[in-house]
Amino acid sequence: MPPKNSIIKDNLPSEDEHEPLQAVILADTYNERLKPLTVEKPRVGALCLLPICNTTLLDWTIESLSLAGVQEIFVVCTAHADLIKETLAASKWSQPSSGLKITPIVTATTCWAPGDALRDVYTHGVITSDFILVFGDLVSNVRLDEIVKIHKARRKVDRDAIMTIVVKEAGTEQRSKPLGDGGIFVLDADTNECLYYEAVPGLPLKKNIHIPREIFDKHPNVQVRNDLIDCGIDICSVEVPSLFQDNFDYLDIRRHFVHGILTSDLLDKSIHCHVVENGYAARVKDSKSYAIISNDILTRWTYPLVPDENNPSGQAYEHRRGNVYLPPNNSSVQLSRSCKIGNNTLLGYNTKISDNAQIIHSTLGNNCSVSANAVIQDSYLWDDVIVEDGCVIEQCIIGKGAKILRGSALSRGCLIGDGVILGPNAKLDEFTRVSTSPPVDGEDEGSPKYLGPKSNGIVWPSLGFTSQEQDESDEENETVDELEAAVNIRLLRIGDETHLSDLQRHEPDSSSSSEEDSDAGSSIDDNASTRSSTTSAVEPTLGSKLDAIAVAEFTSEVSASLERAWTEGHTVENAAVELKTLRMASNVPLRRVREAIVRFLVMKIESGNGKNGGEVREQIRKVVGRWGGLIDAIGGVDAVETIEVLQELCAREPQHLSLFGSLLAALYQEDIVEENDVRTWHSKPESRGKTAADVNVAVKMDRCWSIGSRMIEQFDAQDSDDEDSDE
Amino acid sequence: MVSSYSIGGQNVVDQFASVLKRRQVVGARLTALQTVHVLRQVISLSEFSTIEEAVEILKIVGQQLQQVQPKGRIEHTVGNVVLKIIHVLKEEHLSNSTSRPSQSFSLANFVLMGQPRRQHRTVIKILGPSSKSEDNQITEHNGFGGFLKPVIIDAIQDVQYELEAVYENVAKNARDHIHSDEIILTIGASRTVETFLKSAGHHRKFTVIVSETSPSNSGHSMARSLSSAGISTFLVPDSSIYAMMSRVNKVVLGAHAILANGGFFATSGSTLVAMAARAHSTPVVVCAGQFKFTPKWTIYRNHGTLDFGDPSQVLGFQEKKFNDNVDIVNPTFDYVGPELVDAFITNDGDHPPSSVYRLIKESYGDMEL
Repeated sequence: MPPKNSIIKDNLPSEDEHEPLQAVILADTYNERLKPLTVEKPRVGALCLLPICNTTLLDWTIESLSLAGVQEIFVVCTAHADLIKETLAASKWSQPSSGLKITPIVTATTCWAPGDALRDVYTHGVITSDFILVFGDLVSNVRLDEIVKIHKARRKVDRDAIMTIVVKEAGTEQRSKPLGDGGIFVLDADTNECLYYEAVPGLPLKKNIHIPREIFDKHPNVQVRNDLIDCGIDICSVEVPSLFQDNFDYLDIRRHFVHGILTSDLLDKSIHCHVVENGYAARVKDSKSYAIISNDILTRWTYPLVPDENNPSGQAYEHRRGNVYLPPNNSSVQLSRSCKIGNNTLLGYNTKISDNAQIIHSTLGNNCSVSANAVIQDSYLWDDVIVEDGCVIEQCIIGKGAKILRGSALSRGCLIGDGVILGPNAKLDEFTRVSTSPPVDGEDEGSPKYLGPKSNGIVWPSLGFTSQEQDESDEENETVDELEAAVNIRLLRIGDETHLSDLQRHEPDSSSSSEEDSDAGSSIDDNASTRSSTTSAVEPTLGSKLDAIAVAEFTSEVSASLERAWTEGHTVENAAVELKTLRMASNVPLRRVREAIVRFLVMKIESGNGKNGGEVREQIRKVVGRWGGLIDAIGGVDAVETIEVLQELCAREPQHLSLFGSLLAALYQEDIVEENDVRTWHSKPESRGKTAADVNVAVKMDRCWSIGSRMIEQFDAQDSDDEDSDE
Repeated sequence: MVSSYSIGGQNVVDQFASVLKRRQVVGARLTALQTVHVLRQVISLSEFSTIEEAVEILKIVGQQLQQVQPKGRIEHTVGNVVLKIIHVLKEEHLSNSTSRPSQSFSLANFVLMGQPRRQHRTVIKILGPSSKSEDNQITEHNGFGGFLKPVIIDAIQDVQYELEAVYENVAKNARDHIHSDEIILTIGASRTVETFLKSAGHHRKFTVIVSETSPSNSGHSMARSLSSAGISTFLVPDSSIYAMMSRVNKVVLGAHAILANGGFFATSGSTLVAMAARAHSTPVVVCAGQFKFTPKWTIYRNHGTLDFGDPSQVLGFQEKKFNDNVDIVNPTFDYVGPELVDAFITNDGDHPPSSVYRLIKESYGDMEL
């Protein structure tokens, strides 16, 4: 039956038979936006086991992938790997009938970023062909196999087209387009090649982006798009993990990898975007997107991935008028005659709703019970939640087994952890986070009275304020991640209704008042939460102000990192890795890093409190001998620049001036600068300080230059003595 | 009865089940053909020793395939095909053994008695001896499963041929239904209707008005296809169906599933067309293969539809900001009651809605999955 065979094949994945379509799921999402709900579940923010519409996110993800014809899936899990493994083993996916081969890959607990995870995938060597890379929090009905086909066809023509990013067009004001978590794509309109990418955090509000000029030389037809939702689905070729392996400073896929590939002159790889027209794809990244995606599932945008049809968990639901989903035959649900079930609601198995209770726009897990007169609106209750008489719950997420006792009121944006008991008569403010266990870091506010007399809950500081304080106080924290910054996290909470226009309205306000905002984080009210809280600089334009902030932040980070390397005796290589990471993260030029290292060397020599010349010289020798190699290890050797940087530093800060000569000599001794470099520097007109704006500095530059001249005289003398000057 | 059979090809069944579940195969005929294909593989891989066991296997597989579908049955043809095969099998088996196992006397059997084709058997049944000895006779007669397999595959083959030829067989009498210079109205893109109209187009000159069938706009492709076959075609928006109806001579509809009461499910908008036709006393005919006859009476409590699709067809994803306050509903099918239909044109003759139940009895017996 040839026609029939072909029919079957068309509907099943018809990739190259010997090359099954592979996918990698990153089970961790590496942020903590949904805490404390995620505390009992896999580590910090690994929300792949959280339920959405009573089905775990991992199930949705795997179903989304198998819908796309994927046959082999690797689940990269970090902490709680055992739990994920168990869940997978027990699920229907591991049965042979699912047609899927799922392999969990357990990574080291030190794996903190998607980049690390991909490096781990690389070391396992399991990827044999082009694969789909997604996070474990994806809900999608996009036909990815078609995109993979396009990707493969493109690869046949151009080996360097290593990645296809799946994006979806959204209107300018789109609900599932995350405010404060987007990106600007610069695309070639003809080939859809991604030419430039820049992440756009909600705040500080981005007013301009810098697109490299070369793009316009090569591509006559360029689109700059801010209306694309990043679905978090990447079609990667086999090289991608190895590129991560080679560039161990790549952490984030978008901001580091994509940015790095696109800006790298050496790699000469290209990345394409695929704008999906039909289909739905979104990631549950935070409580706000959790709410949005739940609602999208219930309103059937994800069709056929809807609770009553292709429910990944295998549970059956019946679809009623107004998008109400009930377990079939009504048998296991007890609905009171007078209760009100509003539109877009899903009730789990064995749910009990008593008289006059109202459930509107909400999802209830299995075995929930809602007593008389309770009102639940726009909320998400997980399994075994008990809501007693007269409670009012709005726009909240309530964890498994929580009990909300009589008369309690939960305002919008509350997150209640697993097993928390609240009430009676608890009154929770907006955006309160309550858990049974105290936060890992940061201070809890204890168990205040308003949680009710029987409560076992501990209030966490509200999201957005803590992370800011932590970031500033926490020396260990390598960089303050722009997207994880407090102001932006606030935008991503369930119930937060800030709009872009609000941000714009607040922006001028913030530049004038940001000075006092920086510490006032915990006192500002919700309206002000949209304000920027960065310390302001004097520069008039926002862009340059931000640059200055970035540089200042970077400098302080670098010095902290070097200080630690110094005290803990790290190797030069390790310190270099750290610096590279920092440089990538803050996107500063190499010269800044060099400046920072030179400054660090000088500081260390100064602090060596050697009094006489000999001691100082000894100190210099020691410091340069130990750490001098760092200057060249940071990703580019440019000895002339090193000398320039040193000169500039000594010129600007006169107390170092005396060190210039001896340091230069020491660098020369350590082969960090060569004779030729000194000569090149010496012959440059700027080296004499002619161009320096400040007269004072210019004079000192000149003095350094003359020290350099003396050195060159020495070289000349050595040359004439026929000695090998290279040694 | 001995239960010494084993079901093979489970992976094929599971694969098809998930394809069905993911709605990767849509359309009644395609689903039916794929079901046939799956059943064929199952039978060739299974082990059984009597025809009853084979029937049991087919039933189990059929149930599995139905249960994965929401509310059990969006693609009814899966069940229909299974029942059909079982029925063919039983009939063939009976003709081989020149006798049939006795059935308890019921109203349904009484109805069967009215059919001339069956009469001789029914007489035997009524007059025949008790069932016990016959069962033994059958088992002896069939001997072992290897001998049975070709018989069953043949039965499956029969059903498959019927499915493959269904469009042509429905269309073969088209010229008797459509007369010259008639104006025909249709909605949606049914392959059966398309073949039917094209076949009539070989003999007659007539005009077709195609409703565009929002939101899927499948009417567009229908209109394109018909006009490329040389039929004069108008494409009209759904909103003008009623206005057009006064000039229409006949309405031709496709069907997704035809129920025992003579009502049927078809692409959404069909009820609108049928009601408009009723208001103008325009005849409504439905073109469908007999494999769409479903042994069910109407069972859908809440909606006159089977399935709700993706709202993005109605309102683009880009406009989704409306979505907070607007509920967007995109039903896929309409239920059209029997009182709105004048005739079903099938691959096996034309029938009024009131005799559908009888055709169903004839083609499936009184089995249920």
